[in-house]
Amino acid sequence: MASVITATTTSGLTQSADNSGVLQLASGTGNLVTVPSVTGTAMVSGNMPAFSAYNSTSQSVSSDTSAKIVFDSELFDTNSNFASNRFTPTVAGYYQVSCNAYWSNYNGGAFVILTLYKNGSSFKELARLNATSATINGSALVYLNGSTDYIEMYWYSASGTTTLFNNNGQNLNGFSAVLVRGA
Amino acid sequence: MLSEKIKSIYPSLISADFDPITGTITIQNDSDGKGDYIAKWEHPTLPRPTQEQLDAVTGA
Repeated sequence: MASVITATTTSGLTQSADNSGVLQLASGTGNLVTVPSVTGTAMVSGNMPAFSAYNSTSQSVSSDTSAKIVFDSELFDTNSNFASNRFTPTVAGYYQVSCNAYWSNYNGGAFVILTLYKNGSSFKELARLNATSATINGSALVYLNGSTDYIEMYWYSASGTTTLFNNNGQNLNGFSAVLVRGA
Repeated sequence: MLSEKIKSIYPSLISADFDPITGTITIQNDSDGKGDYIAKWEHPTLPRPTQEQLDAVTGA
């Protein structure tokens, strides 16, 4: 039960009320927002895509090469928008994107860059480091149009081949995103 | 490895030339089984190597 305010295509706004304390906003196209009866601030969450993926095997990247990072396993993918190392959300909006990777080149070290790619091109550098081994991570806020836009992660390795390690489930690397604001 | 072949043809190139953000050359691998390829070549003086030049490099 709920008090309902509806934007119709024939009579403008209509309303019906009860004593449930629950408010529903409905549109003539069938979209519905329910504000629950709670104490404090109610967070209204709808069809908001979120995913978290990781690579279950290690990946070697050649020197002076930008390689797409493989993420072959999912912890969750609420809207089935992640596939083949790529996130293509079907809801337009602003997405908080995060990535972490554990890597090494114990044979003299290497210079590495973690880069977020959008629609096949570099979009934002997330991390840059010169070392022999480290876990690096980064995040970015990116707008995705909900249809054709997609994001991927790339790894650049200079001055030596690097290995992105994974021998411990989802612990050592990951790629995730969540919708934080609609378009 | 493609980057080594390119550096063999042009020994003056250094790793900074291949930086994906600030460099003028991008060697890319999309992890789709097709291997490394030249995604961008915007070097101000050196021309993009031909496939024949790359094929002629051995040992890289």
